[in-house]
Amino acid sequence: MHNRLTKRASGWLAGAVLLSALLGTSSTSTAAIHGQLGTDNSDCLRCHRMETLAYRDPQSGELVDLHVNGEQFGHSAHAEVPCIDCHQGDFGQYPHPAAALAQRLDCVGCHEDQPDAHERAYRFQTIEQEFARSIHATSDSPKVKGFNCHHCHDPHTFRNSAIGQPIAEIVRSDNQLCLSCHSKIREPYSTAHLWLPKRDKHWQAVRCLECHTPLTDLGQPVSHQLLAGKDSNFDCVNCHSQEQRLLQRLYQYRSATDLENSGWLSKAILNQSYVVGMSRSPLLDALGLGVMGLTLCVLIAHGWGRYRAYRRFRQHQLEQ
Amino acid sequence: MNPIATMLDPKYTRRLFIGIGVLIALALAYRFLYPIIFDAYVGKTNAPLTYDTSKRLTDVEFEALAQSLSEDARRLKAEAVVAVDQNPFAREVKIEMLMNTESFIRDSEPRHIKYFREAGIRQYEGPKTCLTCHATLEVDHPDGTRSTVNTLDDLVNSVHFKFQTMAGGFSTYGYDGRQVNAGPHKIPVGKIDRACGIPGSFTWTGWAALISSHPEHGSNGEVVLRSEGCGQCHIGGNYQPATEKMMPVGDVPDMAKEGIDCLICHAAHYDMNQRVVIRDEYGLRWNQDRSLRAALTVAPISSETCLRCHQHNMGGDAYAHNDAAQALGYQHQRLLHRGAKRGNPFSPADDAHAAAGIQCTDCHRPEGHKIPRGRLGVDLVANDLPDKTVSCETCHGRAPHNASENKALLNGHIARLACETCHIPRLEDNNVVLRDWVHPTWDAEEGIWEPTDVYRSGEPGKGFTYLWFNGNGTFLANALGNNPNGSDTYDPLMQQIARIDDSEVIAAVRAKATELKQQYPAIDIERYVQMATDPLSQLSPELLEQRRAMIQANLRTAMNDGKSRIYPFKLFNAMMYEDMSNQGPFGAMILPFDYNIYYETGDTAASVKRAIQDPIVQRMYQEPFKRYMMDEFMAYFGVSGGWKTIYPLVNDQLVNVEPHWMRQMGTLMVNHGIQRQGHDCAACHAPNGIMDFKLLGYTAERIAELQDPALLRKPSVTTLTTAAPESVAP
Repeated sequence: MHNRLTKRASGWLAGAVLLSALLGTSSTSTAAIHGQLGTDNSDCLRCHRMETLAYRDPQSGELVDLHVNGEQFGHSAHAEVPCIDCHQGDFGQYPHPAAALAQRLDCVGCHEDQPDAHERAYRFQTIEQEFARSIHATSDSPKVKGFNCHHCHDPHTFRNSAIGQPIAEIVRSDNQLCLSCHSKIREPYSTAHLWLPKRDKHWQAVRCLECHTPLTDLGQPVSHQLLAGKDSNFDCVNCHSQEQRLLQRLYQYRSATDLENSGWLSKAILNQSYVVGMSRSPLLDALGLGVMGLTLCVLIAHGWGRYRAYRRFRQHQLEQ
Repeated sequence: MNPIATMLDPKYTRRLFIGIGVLIALALAYRFLYPIIFDAYVGKTNAPLTYDTSKRLTDVEFEALAQSLSEDARRLKAEAVVAVDQNPFAREVKIEMLMNTESFIRDSEPRHIKYFREAGIRQYEGPKTCLTCHATLEVDHPDGTRSTVNTLDDLVNSVHFKFQTMAGGFSTYGYDGRQVNAGPHKIPVGKIDRACGIPGSFTWTGWAALISSHPEHGSNGEVVLRSEGCGQCHIGGNYQPATEKMMPVGDVPDMAKEGIDCLICHAAHYDMNQRVVIRDEYGLRWNQDRSLRAALTVAPISSETCLRCHQHNMGGDAYAHNDAAQALGYQHQRLLHRGAKRGNPFSPADDAHAAAGIQCTDCHRPEGHKIPRGRLGVDLVANDLPDKTVSCETCHGRAPHNASENKALLNGHIARLACETCHIPRLEDNNVVLRDWVHPTWDAEEGIWEPTDVYRSGEPGKGFTYLWFNGNGTFLANALGNNPNGSDTYDPLMQQIARIDDSEVIAAVRAKATELKQQYPAIDIERYVQMATDPLSQLSPELLEQRRAMIQANLRTAMNDGKSRIYPFKLFNAMMYEDMSNQGPFGAMILPFDYNIYYETGDTAASVKRAIQDPIVQRMYQEPFKRYMMDEFMAYFGVSGGWKTIYPLVNDQLVNVEPHWMRQMGTLMVNHGIQRQGHDCAACHAPNGIMDFKLLGYTAERIAELQDPALLRKPSVTTLTTAAPESVAP
């Protein structure tokens, strides 16, 4: 049926083109473009793979990016999901019908409907509750009106960080997410976070989330309850102590990475250091260990020598 | 002995004095002897420059002039203020009131009236007068810093004055694969030393000429002198371009700097009728408007001031809205070039930005006298600020389409298409594509022999084409880039710009060749058409093979560099005399024409003979020039083995010189003449659209997708089912 429609459509079009050519009227670009495409992911991507597919929302003046990077999507958590599973409605038509465009997608609905939803350690219900208490939900600033999951989590690229990915990269991309809205923070003369010693180092090494979410229990993921600046963590000791809070978060994952890369010894000795990020240089670590080992050897050798000398002395005494 | 005692020793003192003496002598020689020797070597003249237009006014004359200028400016402003008010009578009444309003008088008066009055300046004497106050200049840099520069030095070292640069930063690649001037051996590159088939000459050999024309409408055999030459646009009012600047040391003499025409750019009212060739005891040079009238109207740069020269290479001389071309001179009128160099005018009538009142310098934002061309350069023209961006995106952002229902789809195209690709739907009709310098045509009206424009067109696919472009170009102005799919079939240097397949174009060339044959019976029409439309047919099989290999080995990297998009490129090729001793797979060194002999007699060979006797062209064929730049020049040109110094004129006969078309067309970027309404979707997305997707390196599968009009304009399902398709089907 669909094929027949396509053929008829081309025939109709050919006729129209011929007619307009005969009448000497040139088609203008205001002539509407209409199309009935398939709804496979590849059909959608035919347009949505265009890197610059976007428009400026006349109401907000903001750029609405419609581009979907096929390759990134293929590696995302949703790679296996057909577009139309989430984007329901007659998206096969171009222009997409207003009704289809008007629908609001929401992560929790879909994820809580999954049969294994209740088996998750961190349920979407919990996320929803946490988010409801978040400054992104409770603020009365007009800027957060309509704030939803997609403001931070692009469902087309979202994926969990994998072991082996450098921490600095994760921190950067994670913080970039926050900074894409909170852009003033990184302006050259920004006074934000000036109270922090070595502010820029912190920005490079720590995710915004680490301080701007409430403390969670061991084993619990970072909460979705984002805190306002004044409610956030100002206590250095939360991170810079032996029972570090950081280690339960992103850096917990680092211990896994370290374990993977440099084995048990490195993790056991280095991960509990007082200042996070202090002797992280493998060369220094090796050198340090070497020096300690060497000192121990010298001590043992010295003790052994003393012992041997004592024995010899005693024997000598006895012989006399 | 301590060092001071050593120095005081008479033996050493003597040596010290000799040493210092030698240094002083060298410095003096450099200061005074070097310029004389250099000018003698290149055969150029420098002399104190005077201009008749520079006249001293009395105080009374000054005040009369000031009043008239002030009133003109005031009336113009008043007319603008009341432009939309009531009826003409009411407007006139209001204008009268404004003309006598104190603050209005004060605010509309050209500012230099006050400055000149107070400083007692009653004569405009060129740069000297300007520098009285503007000796230094504050320059704002993009990083927010500010520096103070010497105004004269800033200008003298700008491309507007030098027409070349030895600096790196060129996005141009030699056919040998090296980026131009990226290595340690830097050569001067730019318009000054590059013969080109559009003007048909070098700046050295074609700087200023007075042509004796014989217009047929004139009374029996009357000779009319006409002005011609590169110097009409290029600032610097002396007898030749600033050749001294091509050396790593030395400077143009101070008297040459006195010839700089500040006012052609800075005066709001400049009389282009003064811009003609004049002769004095030292030779020919271009006159200027140095009237106090012009000087008093100095105001911020505007499009109008830039276009005095630049409309020539955009809309062209024959363009209806080229104001400068309406003021050809009171005497020695300038010759108009009817075939347009680009045919993309910048004027309110034909460009959306000009219509919106956007000024040239809004996009080409100057830093002092250095003006950016943008980072994308295909035509090897020197660039003062090669790293400074000039682009549509700077203002229009990432999503420029807001009005159309299909705005998102249109914006989607930006990743692959430059804005110009759609928004310059066509060029002017007189855009010249093929110009034959070897077989000139008699222009009865002007009374001169002109190069024959074998083909002109402003149509897409004919007058210009679409190519992938990443900002890089070759030494002979061919756009480089590649399909982002990494295609190895995209090969414009063997395809798009090396042959013309369009049957209409071929027919037009054949018609022109037939016409030319009446004047030049030796022309073999078929061979003529073949050479013009298939320039590679002029290459031997060995050279053709070498060409293929060089493209693959040397240019692919530069083609695949960065991010390419499809841009429109104006096409151009010319038949000129070539020095075949210096031929490579991409062309041979073209030889310049002497304008006088060319225009007056149409004897093209004689014209070349005269031009290459110019001292600097003779120097070109000598060892120092070869070593200094020509070997490097030729390497970039794709000619191996260096520059052959076999002077092509022996006993007044041209030796090893042949007329040829360059082995591929040059591609000039077109960026102006922007139309709000761009091409329609179907212009490209249809079989036989204006874009040849196959030559652009797309796969057959993708071409079918791109050309499938059904996908673009299929009526929606609802329309189909309700509108009973059978009844509308043909």
